[in-house]
Amino acid sequence: MTIITHVLATTLGVRALRLHGRQAVLAYVFGVGVDIDHLLKAPFYLRAVGLQRKKDYYWRSSLQEPIALLWIVPLSLYLRSWVPPLFFVVHVAMDYLVRYEKMPWYPYSTRVTRGILTALPDRVKEVALITLLVVGNLWIL
Amino acid sequence: MKRFADWLNQPFARILHEGLGLSPNQVSGGSFVLSVLAALAVAGGRLHAGLGLMAMGQWLDGIDGAIARHYGLGSPRGERIDTLFDRASEAAIFLGFAWSGLAPIELVLLSLAAILLLTTLVERTGIDPGAKRVLLYGGLWFPYRVIFALIFLINLGGFVVSLFKADIQFQQRMDALTGDLDTIASRAARQEDAERARATRPQPGLRPWRS
Repeated sequence: MTIITHVLATTLGVRALRLHGRQAVLAYVFGVGVDIDHLLKAPFYLRAVGLQRKKDYYWRSSLQEPIALLWIVPLSLYLRSWVPPLFFVVHVAMDYLVRYEKMPWYPYSTRVTRGILTALPDRVKEVALITLLVVGNLWIL
Repeated sequence: MKRFADWLNQPFARILHEGLGLSPNQVSGGSFVLSVLAALAVAGGRLHAGLGLMAMGQWLDGIDGAIARHYGLGSPRGERIDTLFDRASEAAIFLGFAWSGLAPIELVLLSLAAILLLTTLVERTGIDPGAKRVLLYGGLWFPYRVIFALIFLINLGGFVVSLFKADIQFQQRMDALTGDLDTIASRAARQEDAERARATRPQPGLRPWRS
């Protein structure tokens, strides 16, 4: 999913759950900020592909796979907040709607999946989700 | 650093191995016994005695490796046993601190969980910040709540970095492949599986090890 969709979903969650201060920051960090791994993968893209645009490059890392719950849950217990796993799960669920390859349990397993609702075109799912999220955000204002 | 420690421990390694006939695994076991005694002392409110016993246990823990390296007794199985004793020692000592009330039980359990998570990847990534029992001596100057928070955060951070290092290794594997990018992860995964199967398959001509 695009970063805009993640921002819309996180904003809706923050508003619906009336999160403020530290809890809102945590929501954005784990709902949107986990996409930072794309930035960390940029040097590899530049080395392998160069400056041209290449579709389907593998941009994902364990930072936004379910395996990350192994450290997010203990961290949440330490912070005494349920916000990080909740917003992280929403982020991952949205990514799993898109059909590209994902490795949910790497490095413990090399299993590869394409996610959920793979029969529907990605564009349809994304447009439908953005529409729902925009309506939700406007309705909650 | 390890070589210098081995040189320092050599006389003791000689006494324990040549004099008393102890194997590296038996020395690891002795280190674990000292750790349990340390845990009991801490749990009973004798912190300084506990830290002293823990120091002796850690010293023995260094000697087992020195014996293994000096006498050529090192093996992957021995390393695994050493790691097992290390984790069991930490569990005993940490729980001793929780029992005595010096540290909250939830923080102790989180620290143990973080150490275990890091251990699951250390063989693959080689990342281990080493912030475990040794930080407990800091409790002589700082509250144990702070010490255990540090142990938790450092080891959990180490685990996140380990995950990312494994990702980078996999990314390099994918980048080395050519062809359709849409199936690159599954092709690289198959390649990794095949390499692992080759590495674990018994080599022809070698007889299986028997105890």
